[in-house]
This record gives sequence, C-alpha cells and structure tokens, in this order.
Amino acid sequence: MTAGKEAGPPVTDRRTAGWRAWALLAPMLAWLMLFIVVPTAVLLVYSFCERDELGRVVYTFTWDNYQRAFDPIYVRIFGRSIGYATLTAAICIVAGFPVACYIGRAREELRDRLLLLVMVPFWTSFLIRTYAWITILKQEGLLNAVLRSLPFGAGPLDLLYTPVAVMIGLVYAYLPFMILPIYGSVEKLDGALIEAAHDLGAGPLRVFSSVIIPLTLPGIAAGTLLVFVPSIAMFAITDLMGGARVPLIGNVIQNQFTQARDWPFGAALGVVFMALFAVTYWILLRFREREEAAG
Amino acid sequence: MSAKVELCGVTKRFGAFEAVSEVSLEIAAGEFLTLLGPSGCGKTTLLRLIAGFEQPTSGTIWLGGVEVTHLPPYRRPVNQVFQSYALFPHLSVWENVAFGLRMQRVPAAEVTDRVRQALELVSLAGFDARRPQELSGGQKQRVALARALVCRPQVLLLDEPLSALDAKLRQAMQLELKRLQRQVGITFVYVTHDQEEALTMSDRIAIVNRGRIEQFGSPHEIYHRPATAFAADFIGQANLLDTRLIAADGSGARVRLAGGLELVLRAAAWPAGVETALVSIRPEKVHVSKSKSRAQSTFAEGETNMFEARIEEEVFKGATDHLILATVAGTRLSAVVANESALGEIFHAGDRVFCGLHADDLVVLRVN
Amino acid sequence: MKSPKLSPYVLGAVLALAAPVALRAAGELNLFGWSEYVPQTVIDGFTKQTGIKVNFETYSSNEEMISKLVAGGGRYDLVQPSDYAAEAMIRQKLLAPLDTAKLTHLKNLMPEFVRRPHDPEGRFTVPYMSGTVGIVVNTEKVKTPVKGYRDVFQPRFKDRIVVLNDSREIVTWALYSLGLPINAIDAGSLANARPLVASWVKLVKVFDSDSPKTPLLNGDVDLGIVWSGEAAILWNQNKKFQYVIPAEGAHQYIDVLAIPAGAKNKAEAHQFINFILRPEVSKLVSAAFPYTNPNAAARKLLTAAELANPASYPAGGKLETFRDIGKVAADIDRLVTDLKSAQ
Ligand SMILES: Nc1ncnc2c1ncn2[C@@H]1O[C@H](COP(=O)(O)OP(=O)(O)OP(=O)(O)O)[C@@H](O)[C@H]1O
Ligand SMILES: [Mg+2]
Repeated sequence: MTAGKEAGPPVTDRRTAGWRAWALLAPMLAWLMLFIVVPTAVLLVYSFCERDELGRVVYTFTWDNYQRAFDPIYVRIFGRSIGYATLTAAICIVAGFPVACYIGRAREELRDRLLLLVMVPFWTSFLIRTYAWITILKQEGLLNAVLRSLPFGAGPLDLLYTPVAVMIGLVYAYLPFMILPIYGSVEKLDGALIEAAHDLGAGPLRVFSSVIIPLTLPGIAAGTLLVFVPSIAMFAITDLMGGARVPLIGNVIQNQFTQARDWPFGAALGVVFMALFAVTYWILLRFREREEAAG
Repeated sequence: MSAKVELCGVTKRFGAFEAVSEVSLEIAAGEFLTLLGPSGCGKTTLLRLIAGFEQPTSGTIWLGGVEVTHLPPYRRPVNQVFQSYALFPHLSVWENVAFGLRMQRVPAAEVTDRVRQALELVSLAGFDARRPQELSGGQKQRVALARALVCRPQVLLLDEPLSALDAKLRQAMQLELKRLQRQVGITFVYVTHDQEEALTMSDRIAIVNRGRIEQFGSPHEIYHRPATAFAADFIGQANLLDTRLIAADGSGARVRLAGGLELVLRAAAWPAGVETALVSIRPEKVHVSKSKSRAQSTFAEGETNMFEARIEEEVFKGATDHLILATVAGTRLSAVVANESALGEIFHAGDRVFCGLHADDLVVLRVN
Repeated sequence: MKSPKLSPYVLGAVLALAAPVALRAAGELNLFGWSEYVPQTVIDGFTKQTGIKVNFETYSSNEEMISKLVAGGGRYDLVQPSDYAAEAMIRQKLLAPLDTAKLTHLKNLMPEFVRRPHDPEGRFTVPYMSGTVGIVVNTEKVKTPVKGYRDVFQPRFKDRIVVLNDSREIVTWALYSLGLPINAIDAGSLANARPLVASWVKLVKVFDSDSPKTPLLNGDVDLGIVWSGEAAILWNQNKKFQYVIPAEGAHQYIDVLAIPAGAKNKAEAHQFINFILRPEVSKLVSAAFPYTNPNAAARKLLTAAELANPASYPAGGKLETFRDIGKVAADIDRLVTDLKSAQ
C-alpha cells in the first residue's frame, strides 16, 4: 500500500461514519447488554453455584445442578412441556389461520377493526384475563350456568384444573401471536395467485394446500415460534388453571426460585432450556439454508 | 380441441356501475380474437367473466355449446395468462408448468412429457429449476403461457400479457404468440389496448368502449371500414368530417361539408332517416399533388372527389410527409404522403395543391 | 411462616427494584416487613405516640429480605423473618441480641410461643404472629369426620382436594402419617414416604400456595390442607368451612421481630417491638390479619367471634416448627416433582 492511498479524506470519512454508527447503535447495544447479556451471564454463573441453608446463592463451582437437570424426571418434564407447547401451537394454527385469512381478505376499514379486536385482550393484564377464565370454567361458573340453562340439561362440566383448561388457557393467551404474523403473510398474498390456481383446475381445498399454505408459511413459522417458545416456559396458566397438578418445565423452574429456594438448580434448568432453543433454532437455520441451496 | 365462445346479452354491474353492458359476442373455434379498447373500458372484466372469476349480472356464457355461466373457474376448460403473470413464487418453473396437470391428476410420466414439451414450445428448456423471481419479464411471460397451454384448454385467455415488455421484446413475442396459436390451434381471446398489436395478431378484433362492443370484425375491416367515430379514431388516424346529405342512392350518397365542399361517397349506404353524419377518411387516403392531372391519374378508376387546397403545415418524417391541408371552403384535412423516391414531389407549407379523395375511401360512421 | 399474599410472579420484579436510601437521623425507624402483615394504623399509631418517623419497606419472601439486608449494610433497623429464617440469621450472626430490659411487655407473650428451637434462649427474637398448616373441610359436602391426613387423602375424595403447592409441606404430612420425624429427614424416611405421597398426589385436584381458599370458595373442591390464615378467612365467610389440626401433628410457623446486627436505630427498634407487644396494638394486628396471636393479654381483648375462629385459635394438637434440613430439601423437591409428573 502506498502512502498516498493511506492518507486522504476517505479514511477520515470512514472513521467518522464508524463513530456515528456506533453512537446510533449505542442505545440498542446498551439495551441488549442490560436485558439479555447480563441476565444470561448471571444465570450462567448461578447455575454452577450452590445454595446455602437460607436458599441464598453460594459462589462455588459445581456440576451438580446440571447433573440433576438431566435426571430422567426433569427430562420427562421437558418432553411433556414440548408436547404441550406443540399442541398449543398446532391448535393456534388451526384456529388462527381462518381468522387471519378472513381479516387479511376483508375490506380495509373492517380489517382495521378486526385487527383491533385481536389486540384488545392486551389492554388488560394477563393475570386478570386468566382469572376471568377461572370464573368461566369453575364448577359454579359461567359455562356451567349456561349449560344448566340449556333445554337438554347438559351436566356440569368439570373443566377447571384439568389439562383441557390448561390448553384453553394457553391457546387463549397465545392465539393473537399466531394470528398477527399469519395475517401479515395473508395480506401480502397476491389474489391473482389464488385465481391462477383456480384457473388451473384447483378446487378450494387444493388452492389452500398447494398455494395458500406454502405462501403463508413464513407467517405460520413466525407464529409458531412466537407461540411455542413462551408456551413451553409458561407457568402461571398451569398453576392457576391447571391446579399445578402436572408440572411443566416452567413450573419446575419457577418453583426453584420460590418454594424450593434452589436458585442454582433453577438457573441450570434455565440454561439447559435456553441451550435447547439455541440448538433447535440453529438446526432449523441450517436446514433452511440447505433447502435453499438445494432448491 | 378448441371451442367457440359465446356471450349472450352479458351485463356485469359492480354496485351501480355497469362495467359490461349487454355484450353479445361469438368467437369462432380456433380464432385469435382481440378485445381492444382504452383503459377501464371493461376488457379485463369480459375476460374474467369468460374465465369464471366474475358472475354476470345478467346474460349467459357458453363454451363449445355448453353453458358455463355459473361454473366455477376450476371447472371451465379455459386457462388464462394473467396481466401480472401470477406465477407461483414458491414453485420452480417446472412445477409452475406442471401445476395444472397435477390438479387434473395426470399420471407422472405424462406430466414429465407434457411439461417438457410445453417448455420447449416456449423455448425455455433448461430453465426447469429456476424460480420465477430469477426470470426476465419475457421469460416469465413464456412460463405463464406454457403453464396455461400445457393444460390443453379449449380457450386461452390472455390479459395484456405483453404490456410489461419493452418494444423490441414485445414485437418478438407477438410473432411468437401468433406462431404458437397457429401451431396449437386453440381459441385465443387476447386483451390489449395497443392497436398495432391488435392489428398484427388478430383474426378478428372487438373494439370495446364503455362496456360495449363498438365494432367486431377483421383487422382489415376495422381499419378500412370503421363503424363509429370511436373506432375510427382509436385505430390509426382519421379525418372526421361533418356532412349533410344532398342526395342518396342504394350504394352511396352525395354530401356537403360545412364550408360548401361537396363529396361523393360509395363505401356504404347512407343510413336511412339521417340528415347529417360523420364521414371518415384515413390521412394516407388523401391524395395530394401539385398538378391536377397527376392528382387525377393516381386514381385508376372509380369516382374521385377533386378540390384545391393550401398546405398549412408540413412535417417531414422520412418515409412519409405529414401535411395539414386547408381547402378553399375552409375544411381542414390531414394527409400522409409516401416519399417513394427522391425524384418525387416535394411539398412546402404555403404550396397550392390538388387533393383527391376516392369515393370508396370515405366511410359513413354510425352514431351511438 | 406467613403465607405469601403477593403472587410469586412479581418476585423477580421486586428483586430488581432498588431500595430507597435510608436516612440517618435520630427519631427514625427503618422497618423492613412482609407486605400485608403490618397494618398502617399500627405504624401511624407508633409515630403519633413516640414521634419516631417510620420508613416502611416490604418484602415478599425471607430470601429477598436476607439478601437485601446483607447488601444494604445498616439500612434496616427491624426485620420480620419466619422462624427457620431467623434461626439461620442467628447462626450467621446477622441479628443483634435484644435488650430485654427495654421490652417491658414481653411478659404478655404466651410461653408456648417463646424459646422455640429457632431461638432457644429467646435472646434474638420476639414472636409477632403465628399460624399452622391444617385441614379445612366444607362440612356441607363432607359429612364424615376428617381428623387427620389419611382422612383427607381417601379415594372417594379424588379430585375434590386442594393442598399447598409446596413439596416440603406435602412430604411433612406423609412423615406425620407414618410417625416419622419431620425435621430429621434422610434418604430412608423419604423412601418410606414415597409410596404414600405417590398415592396422595393422584387424588389432588389443585396445588396452590397463593390462594388455596379460591377453589374451596368456588366449589371446585370440598376439602384441603392449607395455611390457617386462609382457613380463617374461609371461616369468616362461611361457617361451613371447618378447620382441623391434623391428629398426627401439624406444621406451625412463627413470624418474629428481630433487630439486624448492623441496625443504626436499635433504641427505636426496641421501642417498636415493645409497642407491638402492647395488648391494644397486638389486637389491631389480629383484627386485620386473622393469624394466631401469641400475646395472651391481647387475646383477652379479641372479640368472641375472633376467638371462636378455629383456624386462628385451634384446639390443641401437636405443633412443630420447621428446621433447616440442608441438602435434603432438594431431594424432597425432586421426589414431589417426580411423583406429580408421573401421574
Ligand atoms: N371489482 C370491481 N368493483 C368495482 N368496479 C370494478 C371492479 N372491477 C372493475 N371495475 C370497474 O369496471 C371498469 C372496467 O374495468 P376493467 O378492469 O375491465 O378495465 P380494463 O378494460 O381491463 O382496463 P385496463 O386496460 O386499464 O386494464 C373500470 O371502470 C373499473 O373501475
Ligand atoms: Mg385490464
């Protein structure tokens, strides 16, 4: 490299731009540090510690927490949590897709109103909404009152504190997170493609399976992630609506931080949990990359 | 394999707005028909009615003698090439073309054969694995064509398929489309608002205006015998002259223009019960010469209307000379003169000239 | 131990909050107490009587209190730990010995609440309120007598039972049923308890430590094992909810007042403890929170209805406080988690 190339305004410019870029990035980096890097680091450190008799964290180094995390008991709970989350995501797709399609294809003013309705639940606290479900589902609740008043006299349903109630709670809580991204995809979907498929001899079902589904797949995938991840870690609904009978991994972790007072073990479970997500996400990414390279 | 298409008194209303009014049209099997008209005149709506994406408010639609008015699009032996191509972005070129066959549950081996043939037909062999996003406009258009053709429809509908292409590619594609149509022998219903495209490709042209068919005929008829002022003006250039009837007989008429100029018409009968009418003549049919005998001699036979005029404006365009003429009686005419040889006459603004109009070239227009 | 009124979901948020800076000034008291456990009227009354300004800060778990105490240096003058937490704090020298000469009303306390294992000599703590974990029965639904744990966990009550969502509590009931010690737990006693706990968790409809009264009130369950405080509220709402101390024995918790070793206003802290020990003040606490009042003089001032509440003032029974059981706690948690999960 010659001296002439080294000197000169371009270098100065670039340095200024770099400085500015960092200045612009700073708030976001600070946010990332404060709310993601630091808590994760704390969790990681805790997971190798021990608890003392008061449940306080003692800074030693031990693998015990991880050994315990891979105990078949907890592995099975992990598995069940994944099952619940999968079912929740599946029901949300089935229930959310038609809604998203309807909203996406509706007239503009109607669409805005419907979108607002989807978001209305967020105006109240999540816990209050969960308690509302309890008053609906409880034995002397709204649902059973309605059932009793029906002419054919359906017997009272024992729904609250059952896995069904948990599913209702989970689907209710996360359905909007499925509807919104699918709506985004549907809205972008070119109506001419649907007509083209009809034109080529596809009936409504085939149009749905061979055109609408594949083209809204990004929305479905985003929605699935948005529903799956939080519902796997959810503990409030299993506690309040499921009666805490069947522990999910969220309950186990939460329990370590409250009643069991074993923060290091809770931290270890949390780290395993995050690692599981990171790995799954990485595999999915690789899978998509490979698919793209092949397709 | 091709079918005729009939529209009987089809009307389509969107709310209070009538997009298609009482259209009756009979398209012969294997014909290349063009719907030609300005933007918003209802061409796409007509096509969508034939394809089944819209239901007529009244009237019936028939394909190959079978009524299809209320059949859904996927039950009609019709395929469409969309204005925007509407290729499936998630499928490869191959899968896009195979889509219709898969919907018809054609056996896999046959699918392979027919898709390959269709891609060869549109010269896209070797593009199988590409995604639509990776194609040029012309290539996309050809995929859309192959996708529609591979289904062997009885009627192929094309909605301004070339409008997105540049002039050169458009011309090449026009020829290719025409060649294809002859090769496969399917009825083509082609929508365009480009008059030149319509003239080049069509067997017959339907001029559409405000939801109605203004004229339906061969390109030749449409050009030489425009039926209405709209048709005359929409295709090519036309001198439109206000005339008043002096005398009429079975095959023509004698008329007078506002300034007093009198003309003899022989192109068609003067409409009965009408005193005044518009008469059209194409600028290239206005013969101009500085010498009277020369002007007269251009007409081999038949009746000629001769009068003197002055050149008001002259625009040299290479192959042709465009003149604006003013007659002694004050009538303005535009004329196009071919510059056949360097030794031909040279015109300048201000020159006095003789004009000749052949009685057969003066067309009486219908009033709507 | 006081049953947490605040939902544990806010725990994380509370932990993140910075405590206000304590003011160092004469005539001030920095009180660090449970949320919803010290009536505002009592605090106001103390300020009115003594002129001492009270800075009141709350917590929702013993662990939170201890970690803030350790981190905050001499920021707090008076804390309110549960028995087992006080025991550990004494052992770790986090508490200052009390000057009993200043606590003139100490004699008001009933002997069964003082010098308990967490503070055998009574040098560091003064009981504030107490409670038990016992059986509550909806007598409209359950007609047969329910006296002990085995009466609750009967197949015919399947899906009609609510219990605390707390592993050590559940194991403790099994140990009581088996006649095993509840504060000397080892692998052997856990192995013995395991089949019993396994059969019990199958019968339970709701595990809830925060508000076990809710499913009882809603009619979703008919009986349960809950904090006495919850049972007292149930009784106040409807007399059909009867509270029973299990015949096999029951867990008793005693929340105490204690002065941190680094407290800067020890004199004021003593004054506050002595104020609480006054019968007419202690009575106010009882009126607001129907736990068991350890103050004999205060009990004399309670209404007949308050005294008649079997959840606040149960008739006798074998009561024991929890002691620290060390690493076995993790085994207990694993055992209960496993058995719940195995259903
Ligand atoms: N769904 C609809 N609702 C209301 N009006 C419509 C609808 N579709 C078409 N129109 C109206 O009908 C008329 C004809 O529309 P059409 O799309 O058939 O025009 P076109 O001839 O294809 O025009 P272009 O050359 O611009 O494509 C237009 O005025 C249009 O506004
Ligand atoms: Mg159009």
